[in-house]
Amino acid sequence: MFYRETGQFKTSYAADMQIFPIRQDRIALWVVLAIAFLGIPLLDQLQVWPFGGEYMLRAILIPFLILSLAAIGLNILTGYCGQLSLGSGAFMAIGAYSAYKFGTGVHIPLGLFNLSIPPLPVLPSILLGALMSAFVGILFGIPSLRIKGLYLAVATLAAQFFFDWVFIRVKWFTNYNSSGSVSAPDLNFFGYVVNTPIDRYLLCLVFVSIFALLAKNLVRGNIGRQWMATRDMDIAAELMGIRPLYAKLTAFAISSFIMGVAGALWAFVYLGAWEPLAFSIDRSFQILFMVIIGGLGSILGSFLGAAFILVLPIALDQVPHALGVPISVETVSHLVFIVTGTLICWLLIVEPRGFARLWLTGKEKLRLWPYPY
Amino acid sequence: MRAPDGPPVTSGDVLLSIDNVSLSFGGVKAISGVSFDIRKGEIRAIIGPNGAGKTSMLNIINGFYHPQQGIITFKGEARSKMRPHDAADGGIARTFQNVALFRGMSALDNIMAGRTLKMKRNMFWQMLRIGPALAEEVEHRHRVEEIIDFLKIQEIRRTPVSRLPYGLQKRVELGRALAMEPELLLLDEPMAGMNIEEKEDMSRFILDVNEHYGTTIALIEHDMGVVMDLSDRVVVLDHGIKIADGTPQEVKSNQAVIDAYLGVAH
Amino acid sequence: MIIAFGQFLEVLVSGLLAGVLYSLVALGFVLIFKASGVFNFAQGAMVLLAGLALVRSLDFLVANGLPFWAAIIAALLFAALIMAITAFLVERFVLGPLINQDGLTLFMSTIGVTFIIEGGAQMLFGSDVYPLRLFPSDAWFLFEGSFPGGLLVSKIDVWGGMIAAVLVVGLAVFFQQTKTGRALRAVADDHAAAQSVGISLNWIWFIVWLVAGLVALVAATVWGTKLGVQFSIVFLALKALPVLIIGGFTSVPGAIVGGLIVGAGEKLAEAYLGPFIGGGIEYWFAYVLALVVLMARPQGLFGERIIERI
Repeated sequence: MFYRETGQFKTSYAADMQIFPIRQDRIALWVVLAIAFLGIPLLDQLQVWPFGGEYMLRAILIPFLILSLAAIGLNILTGYCGQLSLGSGAFMAIGAYSAYKFGTGVHIPLGLFNLSIPPLPVLPSILLGALMSAFVGILFGIPSLRIKGLYLAVATLAAQFFFDWVFIRVKWFTNYNSSGSVSAPDLNFFGYVVNTPIDRYLLCLVFVSIFALLAKNLVRGNIGRQWMATRDMDIAAELMGIRPLYAKLTAFAISSFIMGVAGALWAFVYLGAWEPLAFSIDRSFQILFMVIIGGLGSILGSFLGAAFILVLPIALDQVPHALGVPISVETVSHLVFIVTGTLICWLLIVEPRGFARLWLTGKEKLRLWPYPY
Repeated sequence: MRAPDGPPVTSGDVLLSIDNVSLSFGGVKAISGVSFDIRKGEIRAIIGPNGAGKTSMLNIINGFYHPQQGIITFKGEARSKMRPHDAADGGIARTFQNVALFRGMSALDNIMAGRTLKMKRNMFWQMLRIGPALAEEVEHRHRVEEIIDFLKIQEIRRTPVSRLPYGLQKRVELGRALAMEPELLLLDEPMAGMNIEEKEDMSRFILDVNEHYGTTIALIEHDMGVVMDLSDRVVVLDHGIKIADGTPQEVKSNQAVIDAYLGVAH
Repeated sequence: MIIAFGQFLEVLVSGLLAGVLYSLVALGFVLIFKASGVFNFAQGAMVLLAGLALVRSLDFLVANGLPFWAAIIAALLFAALIMAITAFLVERFVLGPLINQDGLTLFMSTIGVTFIIEGGAQMLFGSDVYPLRLFPSDAWFLFEGSFPGGLLVSKIDVWGGMIAAVLVVGLAVFFQQTKTGRALRAVADDHAAAQSVGISLNWIWFIVWLVAGLVALVAATVWGTKLGVQFSIVFLALKALPVLIIGGFTSVPGAIVGGLIVGAGEKLAEAYLGPFIGGGIEYWFAYVLALVVLMARPQGLFGERIIERI
């Protein structure tokens, strides 16, 4: 009833090509942004439930935002360009460790002369770190020109295991810290030090909002169509003049850049101090599941998937508790495995485009309500 | 035999010529020593029984297969093989025997994808999608909407192509090829699996494209009635060898062609 | 010089024998891929499941006073039953409904299956390290006359090699000589054509997953004896992926040779390159080797080249 596009006529192609051509959707987006940017800080200020204490921000919202960003990165590669990657963790790690090196100063002894870069402020560190990740992404994307599908998945596994090893064994990356664990530099943005949970939350929110918008613009533009064309029918795309080299490598570059930003945020803003284990293959699978469950080829889906994967273990832990049947931590983790796996199989069978497509179908139904079509 | 009141187009410049081209897969010869040309502005049909090498011929023309022998001359430039990108860049567009649409995209996006080569703004502009990048997107959307109007597929532009019936998919695929504004349009069995009405529609589109845009067309088709009605000249392949070349009338009365189709032993 | 050569031989032999274990897992992958076009990511999880079912039931039966040989037979039967149930459930609820989907979707669904099996296996059978003692775990010293100290060869590795050989022969006989084997090969060639001559795809897929499950059980007996049955088996099993890349997805001999190359390669690299660039090369060597092979020969050493059509 309230969700109708009747009477909203477009008089220009630009208006027709907006992200949300229907007015109600735009209003909803502004409401969500207002809640995220104003509402949540206000609730936090007032210490209203569930924002009394830091649990909600620290354990749910901040990781949700960062992992959503990582999922957007992987979605560009896997969902839009059709290149399956099992190495997301590695690209996050490259972003994180490179940002750490740029933030603490880079010294490379090269015999006669030494390459030295003084410690950089945190924002350029993060962006340069992401750039390193993009660079490595292109390197590991080169095989994608010759190999497809599952073969490529194994190539990305090579990236995962190789970089796991690099960050454990090559002490240079951890500034020769004996424990192998490193701590992030101060989060000093133009003189303002981000420290409290709400500051950290807002910082992530800004990053995620900007990158989500940029990613959305890319996927609905020319390059996005090239990615999807390569995904759906690579030979036809090539015969139309789409260069597979350009399409695939840009997807690898953009995707790893975004995952690099997510990795740096995960390390600097969420963890503060971290070990290589933070970016193991488990992380890669976690992000892949977010993308599959949320929706391959959907920016919105990346958020939905991240929310689901993050909330699932908490719900499996809390709900039985609330019902008076506490289950052990171990059982919870096994249950998470089973539920996630089942959901993936189920979604692949009934709706391969994930929650995002279910959401769209729901909206379609609402638009036509009360008539079936 | 179109335009019965005027002479068929036979005197245009040569747009593409194939000289003594051979192609084999392993030991299997798909095409051996075939030569023919396509003139500017004509509708050229390639016919032949199944397995004659017709699709392989199109694949050679737009650079998907590389012949072991022979010269391909396109717009005066001779080369031993085309590369897909050169072919597309030079203005060769293509539809496929089994519809090769981008199944995850809408009809509109499929046709927009045909504009890829014409869009020049780099990724950073696209990312921001303001000013010139947006203007470019709008400009090309405008061109694509013209094609959508031409093919009368306005109401399905937002529909994912995988949900469209076969006849409409073929039409979207034609639209995608047209969006490239090709000089030479290769159609691989544009009417396969269509009913008589859809065939008539498709024939009309093909003639319109040829007349309005002056696009040269090379088409493979099994329906002899369609071939005779549409084409200016016909080349006939059988087992990878050219057995006839000429106007539809000439070809129809050629004994070798009749034998090939009726399966008379040589 | 002689010492160096003896050392080299020792590393090579232990590498080759360890490679046999990778081959055992890779075999399961190849079987399923050949017959159904499904790249089964869950093969490693199936090794874990088979191992847990075996070791836990064996411990239970022995603790309840059954003689060891009877307990082993009963436990093997129990584990085989578990694998059969798994094969049935996977076919019935995941692959059956996904029939005719593209390879990537099927692959992702087996990642889902992997997680279900991993979670389910540990929930049912526990998640500790369980030692399994089916084979002797000490070592032989060979050629003590030729090399100082002799050549150290662990018995369990030799057992693994022999079991793998028997398994390969058994599978070859099954595929070539039995009616079901012929049907499997028919399905591998062309699903639709096989269906049209009356072969039931569902039945065949169940059989394939069952055989792959039994191969996983065999792999679990060897791996479990060597390392104890534990979760990390899943990660070792992941190495079957590069093995397949090197050997080719559709070739049984490829799986064996690929396993040997990876096993020997990573042990040699660890022994001779490790000291220079910091140990732990084994962790990634197989994957990077696979990457190099892929760049040179995308279809693997034994795979067939595919002509693309449109």
